[in-house]
Amino acid sequence: MSDYAIEINNVFKRYAEHVAVKDLTLRVPKGAVYGLLGPNGAGKTTTIRMILNIIAPDEGTISILGRPANDPAITDNIGYLPEERGLYRKMQVRRVLRFLAELKGMKRDVADARITEWLERFDLKTAEKDWGLSKIDELSRGMQQKVQFIGTLVHDPDVVILDEPFSGLDPINAQALKDTIVELKQRGKTIIFSTHLMDNAERLCDSVCIIARGEKVLDGRIGEIKHSHGSRNIALALDGAPSTGLSAVFQDRALVDRVDDHNRYFDIELANGADPQALLQRIVATGASIIRFEIVQPSLHQIFLERVGAQGIEMGMTGHG
Amino acid sequence: MAKLWAIMKREYVERVRTKWFIVVTVFGPVFFGAMIIIPAVMAKRSKSTSEFTNTRILDATTSGAGQRIVDAMSRGQAPGSTLPQVYLVEAAALSQAESTATRQVMAKQLSGYIVVDTRTLGGEEVRYAGRNATSIPDMERLRAAVKEALLAKRLENAGIDSSKVRDLTFIPLRLKTERITDKGRGGSGAVSIIFAGAIAFLLYMSIVIYGQNVLRGVLEEKTTRVAEVVVSSVPSETLLAGKVLGVGAVGLTQQIIWVITTVVMFELREPILAKFGVTTMPFSLPEISLGFGVLLILFFILGFVFYSSLYAAVGASVNTEQEAQQAVQPLLILLVATAVFINPILLNPTSRLASVMSWLPFSSPIIMPLRLSLGSVPWYELLATLVGLLLACFAAVWVAARIYRVGLLMYGKRPTLREMGRWLSYSR
Repeated sequence: MSDYAIEINNVFKRYAEHVAVKDLTLRVPKGAVYGLLGPNGAGKTTTIRMILNIIAPDEGTISILGRPANDPAITDNIGYLPEERGLYRKMQVRRVLRFLAELKGMKRDVADARITEWLERFDLKTAEKDWGLSKIDELSRGMQQKVQFIGTLVHDPDVVILDEPFSGLDPINAQALKDTIVELKQRGKTIIFSTHLMDNAERLCDSVCIIARGEKVLDGRIGEIKHSHGSRNIALALDGAPSTGLSAVFQDRALVDRVDDHNRYFDIELANGADPQALLQRIVATGASIIRFEIVQPSLHQIFLERVGAQGIEMGMTGHG
Repeated sequence: MAKLWAIMKREYVERVRTKWFIVVTVFGPVFFGAMIIIPAVMAKRSKSTSEFTNTRILDATTSGAGQRIVDAMSRGQAPGSTLPQVYLVEAAALSQAESTATRQVMAKQLSGYIVVDTRTLGGEEVRYAGRNATSIPDMERLRAAVKEALLAKRLENAGIDSSKVRDLTFIPLRLKTERITDKGRGGSGAVSIIFAGAIAFLLYMSIVIYGQNVLRGVLEEKTTRVAEVVVSSVPSETLLAGKVLGVGAVGLTQQIIWVITTVVMFELREPILAKFGVTTMPFSLPEISLGFGVLLILFFILGFVFYSSLYAAVGASVNTEQEAQQAVQPLLILLVATAVFINPILLNPTSRLASVMSWLPFSSPIIMPLRLSLGSVPWYELLATLVGLLLACFAAVWVAARIYRVGLLMYGKRPTLREMGRWLSYSR
């Protein structure tokens, strides 16, 4: 048996107008929480669909738990939550969930018991009201999202794939989802999720892969990635408005590669070989009143910006979540 | 296989549970029942108006012709039923009497009047004016009665005994029609045309209704993105097959319920009609042989698979109901073109048009059963049609499966025909 839950080897997917995925190779360790990061249109959804065998790669291989992705038996062991969510509106909640469970090869009576457990866990079945007997369109949006989680997890899959799971969630459901992800990890499941919310990814993931324009930019364990990008980032905080000479300092390409300007707070990335002390002296010389100047490990967000670059970022890419 | 079954079951159960299905399924037999009962009741009604109650005969002759007409009309009637009253008028005062009667009809004191004069005696003309002047059976009955009265008078003039004349002139003749086909005599002509038309119409309606149903189902899954969850568990071909078969089973269920209830109602029509005070006319359903029944189901299934897989492809290639309505036009044109020819082919089932329409795969599921129910079709022609339809089904399913697979996951702009053509070559 392989140590990897998912292995993708040299996969290509081309469409008439563009190449969606180009020579992608990645490994998702078993039991990991794995983030697939990238701007919109980077090829995240195409990659996920290939893992799920909804579409087939033009070249390369994908294996899941040591078996090829197009093995029909393997699909029963995967749970999938698509980015855009919806369910049969006119159908009773329990019937929808039973249908989804049957599609994963579950027997009806086993499924029914499991559905009851999940409905109770997500407060959809309480002493006063059993929402399981209502139709989907009688539920609030938040409740529908919960039903969708249940549909993803009802057959207790070993691999769970979530496409942009946090988009459109209210804070309570977002918390519930985080708790669920952590619990799944503790039970030894592998969770892969795509997101463009770097803060979420940084806090939740063991490993990440950043892709842009269909190509892998970098991958690895979060700690290693941050370490390898460390020591060139500076957190600067000022007291009062920034002094006028400051922007000239930031534009000195011998010193500074990139600045993320938050008005009174700056994430600065040093130019290759630049001395942080020299930068500090230049900033002091502008007359700025400094309350913090610290060499820090870069955030995932900064690494992302550095490696993908502003041109890789399209509409809807916000970074901070 | 279990997953295909799960999809079929969902499609079937969720549709059969809807109020729409229950209402239509119950309404169908009520409608057929009404088709049997209402004409019978109407026929009875129209008879009662033909009693010429409150009608006046203005007899300007002195020969007693008016009374003879009343006598002729009274024959074949239940005793005591009201008959026209005879007013003897002077020939000179006739126009005066007519205008009085006209005013009375206008004031609804009379329903009509008959004018009998010398021209009537000559066998040239009898005039009637009244509210029921457009009723063909009434007028026919009046004409027959006057003819009979005149004939009786002439026979009497020729010296035949008046009591004999009564017997001789009474001929309550009815025209009974029977149709001859290649197989021999079979039922009444009108009945088999109605029957064939009903079958063609039923096939047409079910293909349109349930094809649209497939389209709407596919579109719902696409817009709610359930499709994505489903095709992550089963191949898209399985989803397509489950949907077409599940919806087809709903259509078949409905038709079987309709046919059974209609036949049962037909068998029970005597007590039912008796409740409405109508006696049944001699009328029999055309014999449906087992072979014809099997062919009918086969044509429905093949026609449904052909059209509904194309409907599914349309549903997968669009994003909204409005787009769907446009994109479905080519399919509807094929179906409507077929429906338009149902009537001409009914009237002339042996024409070239009928033959050609019954061969073409897009119209054969509707027109061939129609031809079969109107007469026999050579077995080799039937076989060739079935094979052609079967091949067309394979082609339609092949094309639909590819468009469906790609279209289901494509959102945004509606694809052009060229793009859809390219989808056919996508491996997966």
